[in-house]
Parts: sequence; structure tokens; C-alpha cells
Amino acid sequence: MEGILTSIGEFLNGLGPLIALPVVIALLGIILGQKWDSAIRSGLMTAVAFVGIFLTVGLLGSTVSTIGQTFATNTGTNLDIIDIGWPAASALAFATPVGNLIIPLGILLNVLLLIFGLTQTLDVDIWNFWHMAFVGALVQFVTGSFMLGLFAALLTLVIALFLADWSAPLIQKHFKMPGISIPHLQSAGYMLLAVPFGWLVNRVAFLKNMKLNPDTIRKKLGLLGEPMVLGFIIGFLLGILGGQGLKDAILTAVNTAAVMLLIPRMVSILVEALTPVAEAASKYMTKRFKGREFYIGLDSAVLAGNSTVIAAGLLLVPLEILLALALSPLGNRTLPFIDLADGVFVAAMLAPLVAGDVILTTLLGVIVMGIGLIFTTLLAPGVTQLVNTSSLGLDIPTGYATYTVMSDAAIPTSYGLYYLFQTPAAIAVIVSLLLVVGLYYLKRSVNLEKLFGAKK
Amino acid sequence: MKTVYVVCATGIATSTMLRLKVESFLEERGIEARVLQFRVTELSPERVEADVILATTEIPPEFEGLATVINGISLITGIGQGETLESLARALRDDS
Repeated sequence: MEGILTSIGEFLNGLGPLIALPVVIALLGIILGQKWDSAIRSGLMTAVAFVGIFLTVGLLGSTVSTIGQTFATNTGTNLDIIDIGWPAASALAFATPVGNLIIPLGILLNVLLLIFGLTQTLDVDIWNFWHMAFVGALVQFVTGSFMLGLFAALLTLVIALFLADWSAPLIQKHFKMPGISIPHLQSAGYMLLAVPFGWLVNRVAFLKNMKLNPDTIRKKLGLLGEPMVLGFIIGFLLGILGGQGLKDAILTAVNTAAVMLLIPRMVSILVEALTPVAEAASKYMTKRFKGREFYIGLDSAVLAGNSTVIAAGLLLVPLEILLALALSPLGNRTLPFIDLADGVFVAAMLAPLVAGDVILTTLLGVIVMGIGLIFTTLLAPGVTQLVNTSSLGLDIPTGYATYTVMSDAAIPTSYGLYYLFQTPAAIAVIVSLLLVVGLYYLKRSVNLEKLFGAKK
Repeated sequence: MKTVYVVCATGIATSTMLRLKVESFLEERGIEARVLQFRVTELSPERVEADVILATTEIPPEFEGLATVINGISLITGIGQGETLESLARALRDDS
């Protein structure tokens, strides 16, 4: 079994992302009952999306490599590790050995957990399996083992499902969205870390009495909510602070704006390719679990239009930059960049812990991102390796730049497993399984809705 | 021609799924409409030219009255999606 999976993994990876993932997607679609012509179209579109992502990520590479080093030397700060952002990271993660297999194996694992009654979440958001592939790639980097990488990725999926089950009653009530849960680590992972802090800040009276109207923030800082505009502003500031002349700074700004707009557009083609497969999977599974109650697992983006979440997400833009500077004496070298546009994901599942209070949500965001930023620096070698070895062909001058992904490297599951798997494999496997069992009992014994639900 | 905005928090993921479903539904019904995809924070009340805003996420209250706002979560979960598509069709048929 182990040998077979390893050789399948190696064979697929040898084919590269333009062939491997598209073939897996088309085959999976056919197995799940998608019409064969539509399944082949999904596969082809996956390949096309990768071509588009390669082109735009190349632009990202040439833009960021001019900023990181010059910014650090010219400002005297040591923020020389650049955040390449989650849209590029998602493509990188899918273009790895673990990434090729995570979608079919992830669906299979979810079905098994539902059959055994260990989870109530049916994750139809297979697109976000890339977060698991990301962890898998990091663990493969640490251990050199494909099997351990795959193990860690699947374990991360179990953690995501358990976190979704655990938070579902609170999320459903707070956002008034019955029947859903959020197995999306880019929000649920932060929530896990924020629970104890949430409990604490809810007990500090003076914090509770400061009120801020989310709609005022949203209207005042609205421009920062548009990634293209945010990209222009950030690019310009980094260019000027990095000692570029006015013309070059404007060019950096325009290129950053382009990156912020173009990469997500390309990524949406990948989502478009995966959508019919996700639908086929969800039909296939709902048919088999008829009459059973379960939550539909969704992307936390569905929560992110809430005004508190938007307001806190906007406030986090300047705060994350300040945090990066303030934490630089403590070892932070990460320069927040592309992921500044997505503070809403950080805030999405923190807001229910503090009854939707803007200041407290932002405060929790600062705490989890403060802890997370240090780890984004520590995980940078793994991410850089991911960038270099993926067949994405990002053009990087060697020995020059180091990369990280602010959103994902700051998620506790990413750094937790990254460090755990630096111990001998047997210990890492046993301890990580014990942690998952612990999480299972935590979700069964601690009622988040009772602990944090708004008391009126 | 009438215009539908499909909206989510990123303008990437769930809004893409909405767009695919809406486009195939409109084609099936022979309803002609433009379908445009947005990130919720890109919308501003002054620039909205939509008849319907179909969103997987909360839409700020100032958009009520500018367009028919429909919750599109059901198109992602698959539960109750028929009703949502019907109300979309109704909103596009009305000559108001």
C-alpha cells in the first residue's frame, strides 16, 4: 500500500502540474458521475489555469525580488522575507506530490469519517484542500518523506473538520447561517488559537466598553478593501521606503496592483475548473448520506461580508505592518505584503468569540497574527523550498530572496506540524494522532456556543 | 439588458461557483442578462449598476433599494437552490 501510494505520487509529480492534477481531476470527476466531456473540460481548464497562474506568479517574482532586499537595507529594518500571498501559495501547494493526490484522498477520508460518525461536516469546499497540501509540502520538506507529508496533510483535514464541527453551533447562530460549518483553516486555524484569548478579553471590563461602529470603519477605510488599490498604495510605500526614485516607485506600485488583481483572476479559473467536480462530489455524497443530518462545510469567505469582519479586516492592514516592525527585535523578518488584502479571513471566526465587537475582534487578530508572524519567518526556509522546487518556474535569483506566506504559515496547524515533524517520525506520528484525539474530545466536551454566544 | 452581480468576500472562490450556476440557469431558461463577478469590498453604492445582487456573504444595508439583494448560499450548499434560482428569475423578469 505504502509503496503503491509513493510510486503513484512520484509518477504524478514527474508529470508536473500541467498534466498530473488535470488528469486526477478529470478521472475523479468521471468516478463521481460527472459526464465525461465535462470532466475532461474540467481537467483541461485546470491545466489552463496553471498556465495563467505561472505567467502571473512570474510577474509577482520579479516585483517582489526588487522590493525585499532593498527595503531591508535601506530602512535598516531586517524585514527581508517577502510574503507572496495565499493566491500564489494555493497553486504552489497543488503543484506538489501531496497536492496531486489530496483532493481524491481528502474526499475519501471525509466520507469515512462521516460513515463512522466522527464528524458531522461534509466538506464541499474541496478547493481549500490546498491548505492541507501546503502543510503536507512543508512536512515533506522537513522529513524528506512523501508518505509523512501525505499523512500530515490528511491529519490536517481531520483537524479542519473537527474545528468545523466544534465551531458550527456558534458560527451558525452568530452569522445566522443554519446548516453550515467552516472547515477552512485560513479562519478556523486562527480561531483555535484565539479561544483562550477570547475567553480572557471578554472578562476585561474596560475593553468591552469601548465601542466602535463597524460601518464607519468600512466607509472610511473602504479603499483598502479593493486589492488593486491596496496593492498600488503598499507597492508605492515599499518602493519609496526602499529607496527607489519616484518613477521606479510608481512602477513598483503599478506592478504590485497588477499582481493583486491578476493572480486572483487566474486562481478563479482554477476554482471554475474544480467547481463541477465539487458539485459531483457533493451530489454523490448527499445521495449516500440521505436522511442523515450534517453540516455543509464551506469557505469562510461566506462569513467575510459581515460588517464587523470587514471592519476588523481593514484595521488589520496597517496593524499587521506595525506588528511586523514591532516584532522585528523578537526575530520577525517577514514583510507583510500580498496577504494584507485578506485580513477578513483572519477576522472571520474571531468575531463570534467576542460577540461581534470590532475592537475586540481586531485585538484577537493582532494577538494571533503577532504569534503567527514570528512563525512565518521561521517557516520561510520551507516555503522558499516549496517555491523553488515546485514546477511553477518562479524566476528567483538564487541566494537572493526568501519567501513566506503570511496567511498560511501563521496558522497554528502549519507551524505546529512543521515543528512536530522535526522529531523522529514515530514520535511525530503518535503525538499528532494524540493531538487529534484530544481535539475530538475537546469538540465534544466544550460547548463554544455556551461559552461565547451573545448573552442578552 | 438586466445585470446580475455575483458577489463573495474574495471575488474568487464562491462567486465563481455562483457565476457558473447562474449562467447555466439563465441559458436554460432563455433569460438574457449580464453576469458580473465582484468582491464585496469592491462594491460601492455610487457605482452599482445591477438589477440583482446575488451574494454568498452579507451585503451592506446601503445596497438595499439599489438592487434586489438575494442570498446565494443555497447555490453553494445545494439545499434550497431551486427557490433561490426562481427568485432570481422573478427579479429579472419584473419590469420595474
